[in-house]
Amino acid sequence: MKKTILIIEDNEQNLYLATFLLERNGFEVESARDGTEGIAMANQIKPDLILLDIQLPEIDGYAVARALRQNPALKETPIVAVTSYAMPGDRERTIEAGCTGYIEKPINPDTFKAEIAKYIKPAGGTKNDNSDC
Amino acid sequence: MLISRKLLSEYQGTRNKTYGRIRSTIPLITLLTGFLFIFLSSNTVRAEQAVRVGVYQNSPKVSISESGRAEGIFIDIIEAIAEEEGWSLKYVRGTWSEGLDRLEKGEIDLMPDVGYSKLREETFSLNREPVLSDWFQIYTRRGSGIRSLIDLDGKHIAVLERSVQQDIFEQFHSGFDITVSIISFKNFEDAFNSVKQGDADAVISNRFYGTLNAGRYGLEDTAVIFNPNRLFFAAPKGKSAQLLKAIDKHLVQFKKNSNSVYYRSLRRWTSEEVIPVFPIWLKGVGIFLAGIILLGFLWNRSLKRQVRSRTRLLDLSNQETTYLYKELQKYAETLEKRVEERTEELSKTNSELIKARDAAEAADRTKLAFLASMSHELRTPLNSIIGFTGLLLQGMAGPLNEEQNKQLRMVKNSGQHLLSLINDVLDISKIEAGQIDVANETFDIPESVQRVVQMVRLLAESKRLLLTLNIAPDVSRITSDRRRFEQILMNLMSNAIKFTDEGKVHVDASAEKGELIIRVTDTGIGIKPEDKDKLFQPFRQLDTGLTRQHEGTGLGLSICKRLAERLGGSITVESEWGKGSVFQLTLPLFPERKP
Repeated sequence: MKKTILIIEDNEQNLYLATFLLERNGFEVESARDGTEGIAMANQIKPDLILLDIQLPEIDGYAVARALRQNPALKETPIVAVTSYAMPGDRERTIEAGCTGYIEKPINPDTFKAEIAKYIKPAGGTKNDNSDC
Repeated sequence: MLISRKLLSEYQGTRNKTYGRIRSTIPLITLLTGFLFIFLSSNTVRAEQAVRVGVYQNSPKVSISESGRAEGIFIDIIEAIAEEEGWSLKYVRGTWSEGLDRLEKGEIDLMPDVGYSKLREETFSLNREPVLSDWFQIYTRRGSGIRSLIDLDGKHIAVLERSVQQDIFEQFHSGFDITVSIISFKNFEDAFNSVKQGDADAVISNRFYGTLNAGRYGLEDTAVIFNPNRLFFAAPKGKSAQLLKAIDKHLVQFKKNSNSVYYRSLRRWTSEEVIPVFPIWLKGVGIFLAGIILLGFLWNRSLKRQVRSRTRLLDLSNQETTYLYKELQKYAETLEKRVEERTEELSKTNSELIKARDAAEAADRTKLAFLASMSHELRTPLNSIIGFTGLLLQGMAGPLNEEQNKQLRMVKNSGQHLLSLINDVLDISKIEAGQIDVANETFDIPESVQRVVQMVRLLAESKRLLLTLNIAPDVSRITSDRRRFEQILMNLMSNAIKFTDEGKVHVDASAEKGELIIRVTDTGIGIKPEDKDKLFQPFRQLDTGLTRQHEGTGLGLSICKRLAERLGGSITVESEWGKGSVFQLTLPLFPERKP
């Protein structure tokens, strides 16, 4: 059974790129376009990993991460923040908000697969308990 | 105050004397003086050294009586001195102004009643012992409403021509910012008359003349008193030294003795004129009784007069005190007002400066916020361009031919260059605005250095450069900002590779005295000594003639230097033009944590 990744991302092109890469690498991808939708969807589908954009409209990524961690069912789900280089200090804040790790924008197709692999294997494998941050 | 008190003591010293006795001898004295005067005048022709004395109308100090005799306090004194010294005196009549002219030209030897002023001291020779103490006072018609200097604004003021009063008062009114028109007169009589007749509003005179004569013109004194001064005999400059010396000698003597001619003259001229009337029928039997009555009457009068004189002096003194107090108060108020104004001005300037600073800071924050949001806006589509180009290059969307591959690689490189430009601009803005945050984390140095070396290895290989790394065994961990550390290292290494066309780039890491030292040595073009200062300035890629060959923002080194400083370290450079450079990054291994 394929692992499911939920991408919460408002930018269509970024979403398309990440979806394309992840699907090519054997993941099932679901997406939400804002925080509220993302939280609802996560509670419903209980994905194996959540890719969370921090700069979201209305409710930002930190608030979304905190909200997700409120759900006991999602307590162990890796949440990977997608942060921009523009925001130093964001990394620490993402961890404080409950994220497991982070990936820096722009998404680099050459390294993206390896970065995701730190947190989840495409099928069957165990979660890598890497706490790089 | 001082003057009044002195005058008061003069009176106190003589209060037990009766004035009547003196008064009764006055006609005799004047008669004798008159004779003496006529006698002396007639003899001056023969006298080889007749002392020529200027006289003018300024009763009671000096004046010319109706019968043409010189009289007054100064005259009494100079005549007494002349008698003892054996001088013959010759009076030269004229106005005050004429007298001064004559004195200046040496046509007369002495001018009485000359108030001290700096100019006069330079123009004439004055005796040393002051003859009288005087001050200036303003007299007006009764009910004029003039109470202070300020009330004189817009008024016509009569003064004696060329008098000290004139100069002083002119200074005064300019100092108090009041405008008065000064009308000068040749003598006090004309000046007082002009006020009496309404041609002038007030007259300034010395207190002697004013006290004695104001009533005669129907004028009253005001509280405007100023410029206490001492009066002297004046002689032409540098001449008559003997005369002045003799005057001083006698004056000192006179002043020691309360019954001397000096005090007698003062009493005589500063009291009101009294003409006692003796009924003829009282002669004979009644003369004794009348004598007693008269004595009693005179006694009473003298007491009254004493009381009056002292009261007047006290009044004067009081007025002076009140005046001075008021003036002081005025000055204090003016000063206070000024301080308030200045304080207000200063606080205004201050708040303006604070506003300007706040505005500048706000502008800085706005600029930064704009740059941050702009770079985010720019980065989002750029990320997409780079991402999809990478995706295509991976062949994930299908196979590419060689040309497509080459062109897509160019798109990707340009995209990445643009991204680094945006990041650099944002970095330098943050650094300039002092708003850069640095992390404080402990990480493994060799791992971090290796990572960067790995990233630039391909670039070095593409230029066929040898990239070597030597990390000393004792280099292990550091507490700093890993990403910033790697950013600096990356910049130094890619610069070294960028500016080296052949040879090698060597990275050396060592720890010394609690500091990490990383040296990046290249065999590139090097830096001219005169360019070293420009090296770390923003937007300065050195004009090597090769500039276009070396793409970059020109911001890298200035960012690195500031970042290194922000991390508590430094970047230094040693270089030889044409031979290569050594950039050294020094960072504290375990800096003290900032609050």
